[in-house]
Amino acid sequence: MILTTLRSPLLAIALVVALVAAACGTNNGSGNAGGASGAPASAGGSQAAGSEPAGSGAASPAANLSGDLTVWAMGNEGTKLTTLADAFMKANPGVKVSVTPVDWGQAVAKLTTAIAGNTTPDVSQMGTDMMGQFGATGAFDPVPADIDASTFFQSAWNTNQVGGVASGVPWYVETRLLYYRTDIATKAGITSPPATWDDLIAMAKAMKEKGGAKWGISLGTKNWQEYFPFLWQNGGDVVDASGNPALNSPQAVEALTFYDSFFKAGLTPKSVPEGFDITPAFVKGDNPMFFSGPWHLGLIDTAGGADFKDKWAIAPMPKKVTATSFLGGSNMVVYKNSKNKDAAWAFVKFVSDPTTQALWYKTVTDLPAVQAAWDDPTVKGDANVALFGAQLKDTKAQPVSATWSELSSAINDTLEKMTTGGMEPQAAADQMQKDAMSIGVK
Amino acid sequence: MTAPALVRREATRGAAHVAPRHGWRQDLIGWSFALPFVILFGVFLALPILAAFLFSFTSFGLRDITNPIGASVVGVDNYAKLLSDAKFWKSLGNTVYFVVVGVPLTLALGLVIANALSRGITRFRTAFRVGYYLPVITSIVAIAVVWRFLLNPDFGLINLLLAKIGVNGPNWLANPALAMPSIIAMAVWRNVGFAMVVFVAGMQAIPSMLYEAASIDGAGRWQSFRYVTLPMLRPTILFMLVITTIGYLQLFEEPFVMTNGGPLDATLSVTMYMYQQGFQFFHQGYASAIAYVLFVIVAIVAFLQFRFLRSET
Amino acid sequence: MTAIRARSATPPIPGGTAGQRASGGWWIYLLLILGVLLMVGPFLWMLLGSLKPQAEFLVTTPTFLPKAATTDNYQRLFSQLDFPRFFFNSTVVALVVTAGNVLFCPMLGYALAKLEWRGKRLIMGLVLATLMVPAGITLIPNFVLMRNLGLVNTYPGLILPFLVGPFGVFLTRQFMYGIPNELLEAARIDGANEWRTYWQVVMPITVPVLATLGILTFLGSWNSFLYPLVMAQEPNMYTLPVALATFATGQYQADHGMLMAGSVVLVLPVLVIFILFQRWITEGIATTGLK
Repeated sequence: MILTTLRSPLLAIALVVALVAAACGTNNGSGNAGGASGAPASAGGSQAAGSEPAGSGAASPAANLSGDLTVWAMGNEGTKLTTLADAFMKANPGVKVSVTPVDWGQAVAKLTTAIAGNTTPDVSQMGTDMMGQFGATGAFDPVPADIDASTFFQSAWNTNQVGGVASGVPWYVETRLLYYRTDIATKAGITSPPATWDDLIAMAKAMKEKGGAKWGISLGTKNWQEYFPFLWQNGGDVVDASGNPALNSPQAVEALTFYDSFFKAGLTPKSVPEGFDITPAFVKGDNPMFFSGPWHLGLIDTAGGADFKDKWAIAPMPKKVTATSFLGGSNMVVYKNSKNKDAAWAFVKFVSDPTTQALWYKTVTDLPAVQAAWDDPTVKGDANVALFGAQLKDTKAQPVSATWSELSSAINDTLEKMTTGGMEPQAAADQMQKDAMSIGVK
Repeated sequence: MTAPALVRREATRGAAHVAPRHGWRQDLIGWSFALPFVILFGVFLALPILAAFLFSFTSFGLRDITNPIGASVVGVDNYAKLLSDAKFWKSLGNTVYFVVVGVPLTLALGLVIANALSRGITRFRTAFRVGYYLPVITSIVAIAVVWRFLLNPDFGLINLLLAKIGVNGPNWLANPALAMPSIIAMAVWRNVGFAMVVFVAGMQAIPSMLYEAASIDGAGRWQSFRYVTLPMLRPTILFMLVITTIGYLQLFEEPFVMTNGGPLDATLSVTMYMYQQGFQFFHQGYASAIAYVLFVIVAIVAFLQFRFLRSET
Repeated sequence: MTAIRARSATPPIPGGTAGQRASGGWWIYLLLILGVLLMVGPFLWMLLGSLKPQAEFLVTTPTFLPKAATTDNYQRLFSQLDFPRFFFNSTVVALVVTAGNVLFCPMLGYALAKLEWRGKRLIMGLVLATLMVPAGITLIPNFVLMRNLGLVNTYPGLILPFLVGPFGVFLTRQFMYGIPNELLEAARIDGANEWRTYWQVVMPITVPVLATLGILTFLGSWNSFLYPLVMAQEPNMYTLPVALATFATGQYQADHGMLMAGSVVLVLPVLVIFILFQRWITEGIATTGLK
């Protein structure tokens, strides 16, 4: 460490953040459904790899597009994007697309230095909670008028507003549902998933006391993405109608109290080791409920095996005033400094085409951001995915803010103090409001 | 000549051989040795460091990345803010805690092992040396995974062993009081090999004649360690003390990987806080200020160490 | 002069000169062995882990030995990654950086330890100061500098900022303080100028420290991550750690097996180099006995 500290304090960042990221992931696609299609990730990979794009990707009219296009994508999407790139190149033979995969752990650093050094790509994926931060640098090209906002889920479109200007196009979305053990629920005398807040906590209690589980539920001790849905369900929000912070509204305090009640009642563990992976605990039955996105569908199937399939299910969010869930995902942005904006926007339009969106779903099971894509039989066909689709009709996301990284971190700190450090919900709400005022939500 | 006198004579050979003063000719020779380093150093190390120093007087943020010159100057605001920043002081306290406990442990263990390897045993030296050095070269990824397993409250090896003797092991990394000691243990484990390597190299330079003289004088193993090894190793020990302290004051990887600064900021180090501010929140100006405050602390500590140990030569 | 020559040519005493009273009791061996197990255990776990299929990582109670050992992780590692290229990049960068440090740092170390020249104190102060500035703070300034020099995504861009470093200077200076001045005087009396003295007298003595410096520099460069990440904009310039992080980590669940396999591959070269070099450290110098 002595020397390596001087050299590279940040080896840990990427290698381990991915390990650690499990539940608290910022931007999420869906599960790495194991498929090692092994597309070699060398630069400029424009070989027609084994995957069959099947001539999808609409009838793009611009056959006179040419030039080079560099696209950056993160995580799982990064490694599989060549599928879409190949399809695009097939429809536009004059364009050469090179995909550079970037690990989520280093995405922020890499993007920052790219913007600093003026070496940005033409197009890149951009997590919804990174839009504000990077949009503030003025690096994004505004979305051309011919891209129709109404084709996308409203809350997804809202995540691209940088300074009131649409600066990115939703690519894929994710939202959260309740995963729960049906067998443990039955044993506890519960026959249907929780419909209200009261149901939720009663179910957790029953599962722990009568269902034989170690805990009732698994809630994050310091994860704003798990707390906010409750805030929204109670009719509150991070900001009020005029855009000012509202984190200590009565609704917020009530939501915080509810969240804290699980910890106070011992229904969820107060100390969660860093890098904790819920999947084995869920399969084992220690934590019979948790909230997560579509990626866990595949993970649980893999971990649980064939005979586990009927022991669990997913359910929509419980309702207080509403049954709102969290919306995450990524947008596609084009950079102002791009030398090939025509091809860049054509590529973005291509990936937003419903057919391509359905193809993308088949490739990595990312939920389409385009509403029409949900009519595709493959997407509709899976009952679990359809549940996610239904939830997508009632979602909210965090405000687009240049300082979100810092504010969310402060909120997490306060959440931790409340859930594990004995801070009372009212004090926590006031602290969050204080941080929001000083750090800013714009 | 008695052993102590021999040791004293050997130990004072360090002074530079002051050649007769030929003025510019001496300078030329000195600079000819120094130049390659100085040029590379000046451009790629000194310059960026200076730039970062300048940033600390600005509110350099993400918006200024494309136009660094345009960042707005805020004078000493960043430094003033630091003084009232509770999180910064907590991180400083944690770091000091880490250094005060970790440095002596690392050096002492390194010295003991180096001594055992060099003078205590004759066989399998290579194997032992390689073995002890392994943690130093193993990727932090693997180390993190393993140590998290070791410290896991439910099925980790340590608590399993404790259970065997009837002790209910705590949740090491989630307990604010135990998290830092766990980090210290991990860091010491990781760095002992490095200290060992350097001490072994230093011990190789001790002429065996001194040990012979000592044994003739009737010294036992402990005495020859105390009166021959330690004094002769003084420059090396000083070097290791300064290097280790400097390194440990910049503690980053272990808490970042294991606890992310938690629980409740119990393991947040200054460098981690700097990283958060600079790379997560993009307050590059503020982060630079933190870095330079840390730098001043490190410089003072190193200076004091030099003074204290050197004056006894 | 002949005395000096002879000394350099003296065959090393097996086990080093400090091992005179090596009457180690068995208990020293025992303690050392226990210690080594502590050190080596995790590495073994990593090695064994690289042979486990992914499913075995998902159990709540980690195991030591793989139940169904497989080389699948390595196969995937080599097929999914453009392995030779990344390995080559890492090697080139690490070797050149090591060479630079081992060549240039002792020169300055010697000048600081044994020569008098104007500006000496200033340089020493600056070098020492650099050692104390937290790393990472210079990432962005350095990147912008490289950008202006047009060296982004090139080997020089990856190498230059690390070609020399304060650590090497500090290490060699401390060591060279201990070189008896009589040796250098003798060389000068024999007519050698400073450069000859340096190369023919000082360097051979300094070999153990050079070896140490070489190992540590190589290690630091080989494992270095963030800087190559931002400096290499395209995958063809990625170094091994960067490639591993980018391609081996799944988003929600790390590909543990591949990470372990990658970590093993990452560690092996340094281990090999260490085993080779550490022999030099053990070949001690003969006693001075200059009288």
